[in-house]
Amino acid sequence: MTEAEAIRLAQQGDAGAFERIYRLHSRRVYALCLRMVSNTAEAEDLTQDAFLQLFRKIATFRGESAFSTWLHRLAVNVVLMKLRKKTLAETSLEETNDPDDEFSGPRREIGGPDLLLSGSIDRVHLERAIDKLPPGYKQVFVLHDIQGFEHNEIAELMGCSIGNSKSQLHKARMRLRELLQETLRDQARQERQAAKSETAGTG
Amino acid sequence: MQCNEWEQILEQQTDGPLPEVATAHIKDCDACRALTADLEAIHTLAIELRGEEAVPPERVWITLRNQLEAEGIIHDPAPAPQSVKRGWWLAFQRPELAGAFLSMVLIAAGLISFMGNSTQMAGHLTVPAQIEFKQEASVLPSPENVFKEELLTVGNENLASFQERDAAVNDSIRRNLNIVDNFIAMCEKSVREQPENEMAREYLYGAYEQKAELLATAMDRSAMGGVQ
Repeated sequence: MTEAEAIRLAQQGDAGAFERIYRLHSRRVYALCLRMVSNTAEAEDLTQDAFLQLFRKIATFRGESAFSTWLHRLAVNVVLMKLRKKTLAETSLEETNDPDDEFSGPRREIGGPDLLLSGSIDRVHLERAIDKLPPGYKQVFVLHDIQGFEHNEIAELMGCSIGNSKSQLHKARMRLRELLQETLRDQARQERQAAKSETAGTG
Repeated sequence: MQCNEWEQILEQQTDGPLPEVATAHIKDCDACRALTADLEAIHTLAIELRGEEAVPPERVWITLRNQLEAEGIIHDPAPAPQSVKRGWWLAFQRPELAGAFLSMVLIAAGLISFMGNSTQMAGHLTVPAQIEFKQEASVLPSPENVFKEELLTVGNENLASFQERDAAVNDSIRRNLNIVDNFIAMCEKSVREQPENEMAREYLYGAYEQKAELLATAMDRSAMGGVQ
C-alpha cells in the first residue's frame, strides 16, 4: 500500500491504512518529540496526540502540500502547544528575549581562552548540551538546525517574528558553544587529574 | 568593525554566507574566527542529528488505535492478533495438513465402525468379522439382530473362515497405525516449525489419542488372540 493509497483509505476510515501511515511516520515524529521534551513518557504522549490530531483531520487533507510536511508541522504544533501549556513562563519567547533575563544570550568573553570545538565534540556531546538549553532556545534550535525548518516557518509555528527566531537561534548556538566548551574543560581537567594520580602512583 | 557589531550581523545572518565586511573582520580577529569555526562545528553536528529516528513503543499505537476506534474514526475494527481462528484456517491452507486431516477423518470413521464390530465380536464369536471401515456406525446391525441372524444363517460356521477375515482386520489396524504414525511425524514437524500454531498442536494431540485408541484396540484383539 503506497502512502497515497493509505491516505485515501484512511480518509474512508480504513484501520489498516491508519496503521500504515502511523508506521511510516511515527519514528520521525517520536524523534522530534523526544528531542523537544527529553522525556520518553512525555514524548510517547505527544506522539500519540500528534497522530490523534492528524487522524481527526485527515479527511481535510487535500494534497496541496506534501503529507509528511503537513504531518510534521502538525506534530510540531502539538508539541509546542503542550509545552506552552505546561511551562508557559519557561517557553515564552518574550521572556527569554528580555535582556535582563539570565538566558537573554551568553556574553562572549573576548580574548578569553577559547577551546576549539571542531574535531573535539561529537553527537553525544551535542545532544547532552541541547538537553541543557532553556526551552525557548531549545525549540528554535531543534526546529531550525535539526528539523530543518526555515525562520519564517518557525515564526509562524511559534507565533513570533522572523527576527526573533533568528535572534533565538543565535543565542541558542552561543549557549551551546559555552556548554560544549565547559564539557571540554571538564574533560581536560579530569585527564590532568588522572595523569597526576598515575604519576603519583608510579613515583 | 568592532566584535559586537560583527556579532550583530552574525545574529541576523544565521544561514548562508556573511557579508563581505563581516568576512573581512574574521580575517583580522582570532576570537571571532574561532567563534565562527565553533558555530559551524555545532551546525554540522546538528545536521547529522537530522536524520535520526526513534522507534516509539508499541503501546503508543495500541492506545492510539483504541482511541480512534472509540471516537469512531476507524470504521472497521482492527484485525485480531494471531488468533486460534486464524491458525486453524492457516493449517488448512497447508496441503499436507489438510490431507492428513482428511485421513484422520477416515481413520476415525473406520475406528467407530471397527469398535462397534469389536463389541459384537466380544459378545458373539460367531459374528462374521467382515469389517468395512467405510461403514457408518449408525447403520450397524444391533447385537440382538446380528445374534438372531447368525443363529439362523451361520450356525456352526467354521473357525477357519473367521480367522481369515480376522487377519484382514489385523492388517487394517497395522495400516492405520502406520498412517497415524506418519501423521504424528507430520504434526510434530508442523509444531516445530510453527510453535504458535495452535491448530497444529491440536492435530498432534488428536493423532496421539488416535494412536492410543488403535493400540488399545490392538491389545484387546491380542488378548482375544487376534493381532500378533
